[in-house]
Amino acid sequence: MLNLLLIPLGAAALLTAALATTDDETAVDVSKRHERPPHDVQLIIHEGTRLLAADADDGHDEEDDYAPALFARLSAEFPNRFTEDDEGIFRDAWPETRDGAIVWDDENECYWEVVTADRLTRGRQDYVQFCASCHALEGDGFGRSGVALRPPPRDFSQGLFKFTKVNSEKLPDDAALLALVKGGLLGTPMNEWDISDERLAEIITYVKSLSLPGDEDADGSTGWRDPYNQIAGVIDASDDPWTDDPGGAIEQGEGLYHKYQCYTCHPAYADAARTDALRGVEGSGTYPDDHTYPKLRKDSSYTVLDYNVAILPPDFTWHDMRRGNTVAEIYQTIAGGVAGAGMPTWKGAAPDEELWAIAYYVYDLAETYKGNDAQRAAFMRSIR
Amino acid sequence: MTLSHSHSVRSFLGPVRAVIATVIAAASLAPGALAQDATRWGPKESASSFGWRFDDLFMLIVILTGVSFLIMMVMLLVPVFRDKARAGHKASFDHGRSLHDKRFTAIVSVIVFIVLDAWVLVVAMRDLDEGFWNVPGPGEAPNAVRVQVLAQQWAWNFRQPGVDNKFGTPDDILTLNELVVPASAEAEGNEDWFAGRPVVLNLSSKDVIHSLFLPEMRVKRDANPGAINRMWFTPIRPGDYAILCAELCGFAHYQMHGKLRVLSPADFDAWEAEASAMALAAYDENDAGAQWAWDWQE
Amino acid sequence: MSGEHKGGFLSTYVFSKDHKYIAKQFLWFGLIWLLIGGVMAMMIRWQLANPGEAFPLLGKLFFPRTGGVIDPDAYNMLFSMHGTIMIFLGLTPALIGAWGNWCIPLMIGAPDMIFPLLNTLSFWTVVIGGAVGAYSLFVPLGALEAGWTGYPTLSTTVGTPGSGETLWAIAVFIIGASSIMGGINYITTVVRLRAPGMTWGKLPLTIWGLFFTAVLNVLFLPVIGSAMLLLIFDRVYGTQFYVPATLTSGGGDPILYQHLFWIFGHPEVYILILPAWGIVSDLLSFFARKPAFGYRATVGAMLAVTVLSAVVYGHHMFTTGLSPMLGESFMLLTMIISVPGEILFFNWLHTIWKGSLRLNSAMLFSLGVIFVFGLGGLTGLFLATIATDIFLHDTYFVVGHFHLTMAASALFGAFAGIYFWVPKMYGRLMDERLGKLHFWCTIIPLTTVFCTMFVSGWSGMPRRYADPTSSPYVAELQYLNEITTIAAFILGAAQLIFAFNFIKSCFWGKKAPDNPWEVGTLDWIPAYPVPHGNFATTPTVVTGPHEFSHPALGPDRDWISQTEALPETEGKTA
Repeated sequence: MLNLLLIPLGAAALLTAALATTDDETAVDVSKRHERPPHDVQLIIHEGTRLLAADADDGHDEEDDYAPALFARLSAEFPNRFTEDDEGIFRDAWPETRDGAIVWDDENECYWEVVTADRLTRGRQDYVQFCASCHALEGDGFGRSGVALRPPPRDFSQGLFKFTKVNSEKLPDDAALLALVKGGLLGTPMNEWDISDERLAEIITYVKSLSLPGDEDADGSTGWRDPYNQIAGVIDASDDPWTDDPGGAIEQGEGLYHKYQCYTCHPAYADAARTDALRGVEGSGTYPDDHTYPKLRKDSSYTVLDYNVAILPPDFTWHDMRRGNTVAEIYQTIAGGVAGAGMPTWKGAAPDEELWAIAYYVYDLAETYKGNDAQRAAFMRSIR
Repeated sequence: MTLSHSHSVRSFLGPVRAVIATVIAAASLAPGALAQDATRWGPKESASSFGWRFDDLFMLIVILTGVSFLIMMVMLLVPVFRDKARAGHKASFDHGRSLHDKRFTAIVSVIVFIVLDAWVLVVAMRDLDEGFWNVPGPGEAPNAVRVQVLAQQWAWNFRQPGVDNKFGTPDDILTLNELVVPASAEAEGNEDWFAGRPVVLNLSSKDVIHSLFLPEMRVKRDANPGAINRMWFTPIRPGDYAILCAELCGFAHYQMHGKLRVLSPADFDAWEAEASAMALAAYDENDAGAQWAWDWQE
Repeated sequence: MSGEHKGGFLSTYVFSKDHKYIAKQFLWFGLIWLLIGGVMAMMIRWQLANPGEAFPLLGKLFFPRTGGVIDPDAYNMLFSMHGTIMIFLGLTPALIGAWGNWCIPLMIGAPDMIFPLLNTLSFWTVVIGGAVGAYSLFVPLGALEAGWTGYPTLSTTVGTPGSGETLWAIAVFIIGASSIMGGINYITTVVRLRAPGMTWGKLPLTIWGLFFTAVLNVLFLPVIGSAMLLLIFDRVYGTQFYVPATLTSGGGDPILYQHLFWIFGHPEVYILILPAWGIVSDLLSFFARKPAFGYRATVGAMLAVTVLSAVVYGHHMFTTGLSPMLGESFMLLTMIISVPGEILFFNWLHTIWKGSLRLNSAMLFSLGVIFVFGLGGLTGLFLATIATDIFLHDTYFVVGHFHLTMAASALFGAFAGIYFWVPKMYGRLMDERLGKLHFWCTIIPLTTVFCTMFVSGWSGMPRRYADPTSSPYVAELQYLNEITTIAAFILGAAQLIFAFNFIKSCFWGKKAPDNPWEVGTLDWIPAYPVPHGNFATTPTVVTGPHEFSHPALGPDRDWISQTEALPETEGKTA
């Protein structure tokens, strides 16, 4: 019967729990700037706090009150961002200031996209459920399960994503992020998330809202809150120039791999003499001892605590390539580069045909040696 | 499989097991055949030195319980068909409390206890003491391959000491969802439980409870946060085997699978040397956060 | 309810203190939850056979965001809530609540439960618990996702940050309080309110089963209550009873919860099965028209199981890192349970041996209990034996085993009770043809479902996989999942026969005679509708409950009421 006395206590606990997890503090508005027409406009979370606090009764249903209220709050929060005229943006946009609405801003000559508080709330709930164990509730990558993981889980405040197959100087669009989340990253606990697309899209919206404000003066972009960033889609990989001659591609790829000195970070798959030959130089090469090992890079823009975490470029005959199941995927990664790591964007820096050839070569390396320990050991002995 | 130490059980089991397996297979073939992608029935062949203990004991219990069940069903069906209510038929007035009935009850109970329980208990205790729970103590298996397993949502982190055989050093081999160990063909049927290179694991977890399930090795052990569990097995055949998580660990529980790569001893040594060298090359002394090895628990 | 019962609408139909009305409330409450839990089971099976495909018909209603697809988190909620609902809100009310309330006063010759108000409170407490549990399905982040066992640290905020899990713990706590109230009532009623002459040796076996269940309830529900309370503290107030010191923080022990949970959880299995055993023991004798074989041995076996159930819980934890000596002790103790189990089967089978069997629906379901509990009980040996349990633990073998023992057997016991007592409860006979159809359409797919689970478990398929095709090792067993699912849907559809029969018969069925089954227990003495207070004059018991086919009774009559003296016993056999 003592248990009976505990029922009020249970009720109190219930109430506390319900209050503690009510999750509707989220906010509205997200704005965005883009140079392209609306059909491929992507969301930019507006500079500001993580999630703006919205009163429960801030007039979501009241058309007349809504836009001025939103404007008032935003302009109070970002005094330098809006002028009096901007109120019109919000007023004109109604009722399109619903989820996903895109409105043109004459003043700043950019498009704005609006995300409702409901959408962000749903995204946050699913994020908490699926992602927070590694990426943490705050999105900084210090989740309980992310402890000691190398590479560490993304810190979403930086707005950097490594294997999106997008030009790494730009931000990936939603489709690229969706493909990444659905495909997972091989060799990491980032699984192939088997969740409905709609929910993943909401999670992605929320994750983008976690990126910190960018520096307006800096070149390039640092996150979705930077109004001057640019968004790009997955690099097109439909015109493989080597479909008729993969053998030739591999052969040329080996030369190009060493010509472009990929071995500065990745291993060289040739001894010093052969590397010289492949590079077309003579006797000039004095290569370090770890020539045929991957070299640590600490100059990434990805930081953990007070030092840059060491990013290890993969040895294609040993490590898993995160998203390298096909030649086309490898091409996309080479062409786009790896954001936040030492791998630059190669598209434009070298002809596409050559990048494809390198991709063929890398794919062949992995295909031939990865998992075939004896064969790999023999090969490595021959070049070390 | 040839095993010296279990002739009695195994020789008895041989023919009976074949019969039982045939019967069960026949019973299940009908539905199995209906499904075109029926690829497997029963666990994959055991690939560890004591995996046969599970297979044999399982079959022994199948036989014992199967016979018991048959007896029960006969006793159930005979009255159902023979003693149906009908005109002129009257049930016997029997309370079953005569001395004869009491004796009969007692005798059957004793038989059930001996045949069903004691027999299985003795075999199981032997199997536990010689196999499953016989984790090598300090110094008992100097050749052991030692692995620290750190489970997390939703992946397995494996740490091997590398060529220096010490944990927490720069050449520690770290793998994710893939455990590489050597095969010890000589361990099969060997009187020496720890012949060859037994694989001894220390399991723990970062977050929630996981359970390392190696179906072909016939072993399973929980990885509890805040504690270190031990487990062992000796693989006897090279090949790729399954690693599964058997304890609900969150919504991606089903995705928490990996690969157990068993290599021949020579291949393993080569792999270990190379992996150690790679680990050395990748070692970052500033990155204290990545050094999660713990003192080995024996 | 009773015609003489005077009072307002609320006190008559809602907060009635009459045990018979409360029994009906429990029965309907349990059946509604069984329906909900059953639909969840169908969704689980659908997802296992067709991962990633939208659940037909109802899918869009329940999973609007995904267009009917059961996402992995929704799947986890489904099987977790399926287990909780079936055990705490389905079987417990439908079996213990309904038949405990119906049978105990009527069968022991009492006017009502000894604490009628506590009885009412017990029902409405479980309603509150059910409401909290139901509400947890609709909170942000969803309901319980940690399995019905709710192991920490997954069930703490480490693994499930939403409030659904907290609400679940609160619901289980409240339901536990209800069961304790019921248990106290049952025990006291049986001890204090037996009619004159109703000695312990003349109690129907149903009462014995319910009595032992009540004892277990009172002893072990407080344990789960405390476990849940600690969990609630961990979740809501940030204590760390179950959160261990790891790479992060904490100082508790998740294994503590497993001990607390299973010291309740294993007796819970017997809490559910003991009433079914009791009902079956009686019904087999009633419909074999033969005295229950070895009455004392049956009671003794139930007592032994009750005692042993408290000391075998460790067999749920063989892979957690239990000390080997402790593990082996639990293995021995667990195996010992097979002896009283065997005595029960022995007595049941001897009860029907040389009987005169009336194979109506209630009898078929009683025989069904022998079959399914035989299958489930014997497969328990695989799991009691550590050397085999290590492989089979947390595979579908376990799922098949416990569904056959605690789910199918208890459910069959409840069905047998319904087919048996509805004529007194509602004054109308159940449709026998539909009842038999229901039996055969249940037992065949049910056997298929759970025996196929044995095969997939033995083949190494772990439990609680939202998408079994994800892992290559498990994907090879997908054909077994498909067979199971087809059988499960047939099984689910068959229950519609029962629902139809039950509703039709309760309200529009053929009027039942006062003692349609011709049995002698006291519950068949009052005429329908059983009045408030049950018996016009308190019956005096002189005979045991199972004195069928007495040789001196003559050719026309093979039964004798418990209030009638047996004829001279010179013809007694054996």
